Amino acid sequence: MNSYTRRGFLGLTSAAALGAGLSACTGGGTSTSGGDSAPASNNLRVFTYEDDTTIGLLKAQIKKFDEQNGTTTTVDSLPGSGAAVYPDKLRTELLGGKGPDVWRIWGGQIGSPFAKAKQALDLTPYYSKYGWDSKINTAAIGGMTFDGVKSGVPYLALGIGAWYNKSLLAKAGLSAPPTSYAELEAMNDKLVAVGVTPCGLGGKYGWDIMRLFEYLLEHTAGPDLHDKLLAGDESWDRPEVVEAFTLFKKWQDKKWLPQGALGLDPADIEPGYVQGKVAYTITGPWTEAQAILSAKKSSSAFGTFELPTDQSPSRHSGFVEGYMINAKTGNADKAAALLDFIVQPATQKALQITASTVKGAEPDPKSLPLAAEWSQKYAGNPFYTIQDQAFPKKQADQYFSVQSDLLQGSMTPEAAAKKMQEIVSAWAKG
Amino acid sequence: MAAVALSKPSTAKATRSGKWSPWLFALPALVVYVAFLVYPAVSSLWFSLTDWDGLSATYNFVGLDNYFKLPTDPVVLTAVRNNVIWTVVTIAVPTVIGLGLAIALNGKVHGKPILRLIFYTPAVLPLVSIASIWGWLYNPQYGAINSFLRLIGLDGLAQPWLGQDSTALWAVMVPAIWLRTGFPMLLYLAALQGIPNELYEAATVDGASRWQQFWHVTMPSLRPAHYIVLALSLIDSFKVFDMIYAMTYGGPGTATQVMGTWMYANVFQYYQAGYGTAIAVVITVVAVAVGIPYVRSQTREAS
Repeated sequence: MNSYTRRGFLGLTSAAALGAGLSACTGGGTSTSGGDSAPASNNLRVFTYEDDTTIGLLKAQIKKFDEQNGTTTTVDSLPGSGAAVYPDKLRTELLGGKGPDVWRIWGGQIGSPFAKAKQALDLTPYYSKYGWDSKINTAAIGGMTFDGVKSGVPYLALGIGAWYNKSLLAKAGLSAPPTSYAELEAMNDKLVAVGVTPCGLGGKYGWDIMRLFEYLLEHTAGPDLHDKLLAGDESWDRPEVVEAFTLFKKWQDKKWLPQGALGLDPADIEPGYVQGKVAYTITGPWTEAQAILSAKKSSSAFGTFELPTDQSPSRHSGFVEGYMINAKTGNADKAAALLDFIVQPATQKALQITASTVKGAEPDPKSLPLAAEWSQKYAGNPFYTIQDQAFPKKQADQYFSVQSDLLQGSMTPEAAAKKMQEIVSAWAKG
Repeated sequence: MAAVALSKPSTAKATRSGKWSPWLFALPALVVYVAFLVYPAVSSLWFSLTDWDGLSATYNFVGLDNYFKLPTDPVVLTAVRNNVIWTVVTIAVPTVIGLGLAIALNGKVHGKPILRLIFYTPAVLPLVSIASIWGWLYNPQYGAINSFLRLIGLDGLAQPWLGQDSTALWAVMVPAIWLRTGFPMLLYLAALQGIPNELYEAATVDGASRWQQFWHVTMPSLRPAHYIVLALSLIDSFKVFDMIYAMTYGGPGTATQVMGTWMYANVFQYYQAGYGTAIAVVITVVAVAVGIPYVRSQTREAS
């Protein structure tokens, strides 16, 4: 099998085009954008997915960095797109030869392709230079390390839990959140009995409703087995997985999920607990700023709890987010300096990061009381990798398809477990 | 004679320059065409013969492997079936409705310009807005469609329209029909206005009924318009991507995947650019094959 470089092909075809007298239109863009680094300058570009509630904070901090370092940094954001769309845009920018110097990205299998394709710079020298190993949470660094290469700097280690509407729980006669799975089911029944949909999750894109299944799998399989399943080290075709799929279907059949949940957009249904349409949702601390405070509601009307797994240790789903540096940037040193600035506790606090990977940057209980409470109570608990970061996108989509078939009744829990084993083993072998 | 002899060289010069002048006028458009269509198309064809992941600097040549994989991919089979259903429905229904509206608006109707505007407005709305609006209308619990059905006592018909395999594709086709009806309506309206009144007067004198006039005068006179509507709609339908992507993201599961969205998923999300590009090549070949009769008919008319 012959190996080729994309640049080589583009160069050849450009040359052919030049030969045909068409250099004016095709030659320039491709022949000059080879694999070399861009020239050094004082200009940086950051690509992120901050929304309207946080982009101002980031820009203010970056302005501060620019003033201190004599740089000019542009910040571009693609808010609200989620992991389903943002990486596509980033990829297109990188291939177009005008990629950002620094980009924000999720860890695990979402960030992995950028590291493996060597689009992201190996940051090992900068980890030594800035001592990030000793400053940043080790588990979080693991989420941005691919094939042993530290390709990103994590600054967020987010935990997923239940965020609920106190008045709707009170309407069902509940004064405290559940502490066991049986209590959670009992709570759901009481909510349905008073006409309240318990859990607001949407199946469009797959990743939102997945948060319920991964929790159920943690409950039935326990931490060790769950981790081995995610890594493809144990077969999915087993009773614990069948039980988790059975429970998953039960949640829909007992109307603990919204009607037609599979077709709902997470962006529409997730804030439902704030709007009083559902009792709770399964999400992370960002929801306090994005859903509660942006709706001009008081945080005191809402609460959080870790979904009870009845397992030891008690774990929740979690994931990391961080920044990568473009391998082709001409400003790697300045970009690394910017990342070091971002992971300073003072900057993290100014950015109102709800789950920072550095100590001394815990959320402010005055501005984000629920995020602070979550951090205090549960951030110390271990977490399992959220499933859409545990699997590559293709396998994750196949898994979402299994979820969909199961909830629609076209696949039994036993068949779903078997199908999952096929999907995961094909990936693990590959 | 002398005058003729004297003018010979200048005539030859003019002929020579005349030979090149059409090309000079065409050159700017040709350059753009080659740069933004031919060159990317040739690149895509090449990448469809490789295992490029869409990000890495290197890749391997794999011959026709990606094309051989297509028939064994169950999602491709779903996508082709969905494309065929989509094409048939989103051509037939808007064309028939568009023709009906055009005939109605061509008659003596009050407020014609406003009605035309109303019927054509969906065609100019941003697709993502349309997808969001219809997404809300279809909301199983709070959407207007289910609320209306419950209001009139048809609770049993209230469905999770976008959340089940059996209805999702059809539910996406409804807004597609809604937004695509304006285009054939405008074309047919323009064509109808070009039919001479004398033909109808003669038919009336011959005792033809309205129905007979429609079939024997209107329809034959609209033949060129039919051709344009059908050819452009066919190409448009086969390229469907945006409505599906915005409304269902190809789901539930893969129930509403079409070739366009499956190509996008492979190229941009699964890092299988070689395979995804092979899907794109197939879409292009089919669209071109469909477009050829239209282009030929246009060329024939022009010549």
